[in-house]
Amino acid sequence: MALFLLQRLAALIVTLLVASLVVFLVMEVLPGDPAALMLGINAREDTLAALRNEMGLDRPAVERYFLWLGGLLSGDLGTSYTYGVPVWELVRDRLGLSLPLAFIAICLSTAIAIPLGVLAAAKRNKPADVGVMGFTQLGIAVPNFWFALLLILLFAVQWRLLPAGGFAGWDAGFWPALKTLMLPAVALALPQAAILARVTRSSVLETLGEDYIRTARAKGLTRRAALWRHAVRNALIPVVTIMGLQFSFLLAGTIIIENVFYLPGLGRLIFQAIAQRDLIVVKDLVILLAASVVVVNFVVDLLYAVIDPRLRGGGAHE
Amino acid sequence: MSDIGLRELATVWREYWERGRRSAGFVIGLVITVGLVSVALVSLLWTPYAVDVMDIPAKLQGPSSAHWLGTDQFGRDVLSRLMAGAVNSIAVSLVAVGIGAGLGVPLGALAAARRGFVEEVVMRFNDFTFAFPALLSAVMITAVLGPGAVNSIIAIGIFNIPVFARLTRGASLSLWKRDFVLAARVAGKGRTRITAEHILPNIASLLIVQMTIQFALAILAEAGLSYLGLGTQPPDPSWGKMLNDAQTLMYQAPLLAIFPGLAIMATVLGLNLLGDGLRDLLDPRLRRLR
Amino acid sequence: MTLLSLRDLRVTLDTPEGPAPILEGVGFDLPTGTSLGIVGESGCGKSMTALAIMGLLPGPARAEGEILFEGHNLLALPEAALCKIRGRRMAMVFQEPMMALNPVKTIGFQVAEGLRWHLDLSRGAAESRAVKLLDRVGLPQPRFAPDLYPHQLSGGQRQRVVIAMALACDPALLIADEPTTALDVTSQAAILDLLAEVAAEAGLALLLITHDLAVVWQNTRNMLVMYAGRVVERGPTHEVFARMAHPYTRGLLAASPGALDAALPPGRRLATIPGQVPDPLHRPAGCVFAGRCPRAAEDCLPAPPEERHLGVAHSAACLHPHLEAVQT
Repeated sequence: MALFLLQRLAALIVTLLVASLVVFLVMEVLPGDPAALMLGINAREDTLAALRNEMGLDRPAVERYFLWLGGLLSGDLGTSYTYGVPVWELVRDRLGLSLPLAFIAICLSTAIAIPLGVLAAAKRNKPADVGVMGFTQLGIAVPNFWFALLLILLFAVQWRLLPAGGFAGWDAGFWPALKTLMLPAVALALPQAAILARVTRSSVLETLGEDYIRTARAKGLTRRAALWRHAVRNALIPVVTIMGLQFSFLLAGTIIIENVFYLPGLGRLIFQAIAQRDLIVVKDLVILLAASVVVVNFVVDLLYAVIDPRLRGGGAHE
Repeated sequence: MSDIGLRELATVWREYWERGRRSAGFVIGLVITVGLVSVALVSLLWTPYAVDVMDIPAKLQGPSSAHWLGTDQFGRDVLSRLMAGAVNSIAVSLVAVGIGAGLGVPLGALAAARRGFVEEVVMRFNDFTFAFPALLSAVMITAVLGPGAVNSIIAIGIFNIPVFARLTRGASLSLWKRDFVLAARVAGKGRTRITAEHILPNIASLLIVQMTIQFALAILAEAGLSYLGLGTQPPDPSWGKMLNDAQTLMYQAPLLAIFPGLAIMATVLGLNLLGDGLRDLLDPRLRRLR
Repeated sequence: MTLLSLRDLRVTLDTPEGPAPILEGVGFDLPTGTSLGIVGESGCGKSMTALAIMGLLPGPARAEGEILFEGHNLLALPEAALCKIRGRRMAMVFQEPMMALNPVKTIGFQVAEGLRWHLDLSRGAAESRAVKLLDRVGLPQPRFAPDLYPHQLSGGQRQRVVIAMALACDPALLIADEPTTALDVTSQAAILDLLAEVAAEAGLALLLITHDLAVVWQNTRNMLVMYAGRVVERGPTHEVFARMAHPYTRGLLAASPGALDAALPPGRRLATIPGQVPDPLHRPAGCVFAGRCPRAAEDCLPAPPEERHLGVAHSAACLHPHLEAVQT
């Protein structure tokens, strides 16, 4: 068990290091002079040079890489070129939106998908199953930003129940702020729910075919009891892994969805920073996002070991 | 999977066609996909109206006999732009998946054939690309290279490579252990020859299914990039960009937001059904669970 | 009243190519406290018989006829009533111990589960009874603590846990479907001895299903031989072994290795029965074994032969049975 942990930890660190290297290199290739961006095209050459010196841009790449890495590890993320404030502040403000949004989306998606998947598996090939499979086929095929537009059309334009965009901010009150997050969360949740439902269904189906389900029924458990007490519990193990993977899809989704709804979150920040060539913000955000994905997957691996006793070690006794 | 030589492949595929005809999902998927491709091809030669002809007085009209799906904010015919957009989506996705498979499959096959250090490098590279959400990489790459159709092809292609590499390596590894491969090795065949003659034909069906699925994902990715303004640039029509334009006009012309999205959804749905149908056909083990 | 009585059990399986008759008119009686062995090769329907009794036939299978257990016709009972009988009055032990247990639940939980489900015992009471059961089947404390997981046990040990689970609610009937086929030889003997022991001690009726004649010889009082969905010979075990009237039974004996040397002439060679078991969808109109039988004659072809008595309790479904005893 300990060995397992150490191996995963080592892999995690290596992955992050490589990721940071790649991000740095990619940003190096980006055309555009950050100093010129900040001061404008009419700035004088010596002012530009002074600024570049101050920002450390004239030092060799290798040195800059390690400086950046060191900064990341010690919490100093630098200052944004375009906004002029510490990147950390930007991130902190945006997190206040992106985290709750992601959290609501995950809850919604899980709450819809798992029961649907179990239902479909329990009633395989009957109308309920066909219905669920049809719904999930559509859910997977729908582009989430289009679904967002449809939601806006319905709830904002037609019924005027919810706002079409923007974030009210937590200062405006818990409920008003939540209302602005609803449509985005649903738009994010739907494709994930569709995939998750399918995975749950096939996992439960596979589990239902295992011998120990037959044993449970031979003990006198009803179909439903055997399903919930044995099948679902075991079937959820691989499903949890998929949920970990879905985290990264969720992050990708926020980039687009936050743009659709004009939400000042991390996704939108990345997008704007890339467009504005704000290299520091881009580098920091991308590595932060990659790190969160890797960490989440690491946690999922750990969880796997907790849920499945076979991974904890202790072989057969004789 | 039994060993299928290159010659027998054709007979096997004919047999699959017979079985495929009986599966509803497969047929629907095939029909939609073929329909889409036909529309796209037709649009290369003819569309009801020229794609970029503006007609401001006729702007933002609903569906009519003159314009079956209405007009956009510049008076351009929506149907024609949808058709042309199909070409764009298909072209970008096809080439991107082609790049992904073209580079990913050899990488995966190499990793499985060589093992050791080469395999480690390929796998680490894979793991690390999986850490980046696909759209994020695509956004970054198009930002670095600049927006445009060609660059979105490259961006989408790049994140397809690890998918195919991983799939190929996994499937090849289990094949390398099989008896018929051992027999070939004992007979003195080199690794490249074995890969070409035995490994690849046997994973062909897996690859085809995956390509269909990746094609669907590429269409979604391309639409997303275009929506964000990083894909196909105006005045070339693209479904994603049409949706973006429609967003600002939702109060005036809600239908404009519906048609391009429907087109995307129908395309992806058709491809997914086709891919699922192919998978059921080609892998008898999975069929049991349906 | 006999504990278990099957009358004309017919099971049909719906296949894409049409309905396949898996069992055709199987019947037997099993009184309390006795043991009955059902022997036959793979595909003869012996496992299906067991599943039919338990009401656990796979989805596309339909059963007709009568299965009388403790006076009730199981085929006429609703599922809810069957759930009350399964595990409580009758229990089953399956062939593959490796996956018969839920890998993520402890063995203690799994043995106690039946107790809590049927007898409504509290967790503590159920667990202490589970410990006693584990002890009874040869898994004593503290080595085989109830918080062990299945993957920590060997195949033989897992099968013992399954037997403990089966015995939990003191059933009257225990069905064992090839309980030792997947185990190594030493474990086989140990498990069979265990089954015989608990059956005798609890006064259980034991229905032992196997393809191995040696197992039947050593562990059952009466036996049936099945072939292609029918009973072809039945009777007290020692008598069937002495007479072996049906040509198929003789063929089985001739094909059995090793352990039967006590019942067989020395120096004999392993024989095979030429041909194959017919596909259930394409069974011949007459005697189903006729195509492979060295004694088949014209009158075997039109219709399947009825069982005819050859002794007090011994009968065979054959028009030309062996009447001479088996040579030793």
